[in-house]
Amino acid sequence: RSYATEAASTGLRLTFAVPHQTLYKDVNVAQVNIAAVSGDMGILASHVPSIEQLRPGVVEVLEGAASKRFFVSGGFATMNPDSTLNINAIEAFPIEEFSSETIRNNLAEAQRVVNSGATEEEKIAAKIEVEVLEALQAAVNAK
Amino acid sequence: MSQFWKPTFTYLQYAQICARAVRSTLKEEARVVAIRRDEQGLKYAKWEAGKQGELKNTVGTRTTV
Repeated sequence: RSYATEAASTGLRLTFAVPHQTLYKDVNVAQVNIAAVSGDMGILASHVPSIEQLRPGVVEVLEGAASKRFFVSGGFATMNPDSTLNINAIEAFPIEEFSSETIRNNLAEAQRVVNSGATEEEKIAAKIEVEVLEALQAAVNAK
Repeated sequence: MSQFWKPTFTYLQYAQICARAVRSTLKEEARVVAIRRDEQGLKYAKWEAGKQGELKNTVGTRTTV
């Protein structure tokens, strides 16, 4: 099949960007693991084309033996038939750039707001923050 | 993983809340640069009879969550 032979010659090509910075531009990589709303998935060359919404979580890029983990706040991953993968996120940083202590403090604060007598809107916003921070904490501790 | 925020927020508002949560937990240097990205707003002026009115600037002010 034509798609498969194209992919075999070039491998998986990743373009990973946030609005203010391009992290990877058409880089040949071995595999990319993403945290999609529909589930965690590993993407290799010739992956079936699809568009996945990313949940706040880890995007892991495997190049040869090296693996680089980023935490993304959310966004989309688009796998194309020609084995190019586009990941667009609003914010994405290497896991090492986060402060464990700040995560713990912000998480405690957000949980406090959820259980407090704040407005419904503030509570839902705090619940979203709890979800993000718990995922971030798990990602940082997994290293 | 139901999207519990749907009745209250639009996807874009949800995405901004997530982004803010992520930016605020960075280590010192990176955080200072990132927080500045959160500033959004616009400059506008009302025109009447061909004349520009007072120029208003909303950059740096936030009216919603």
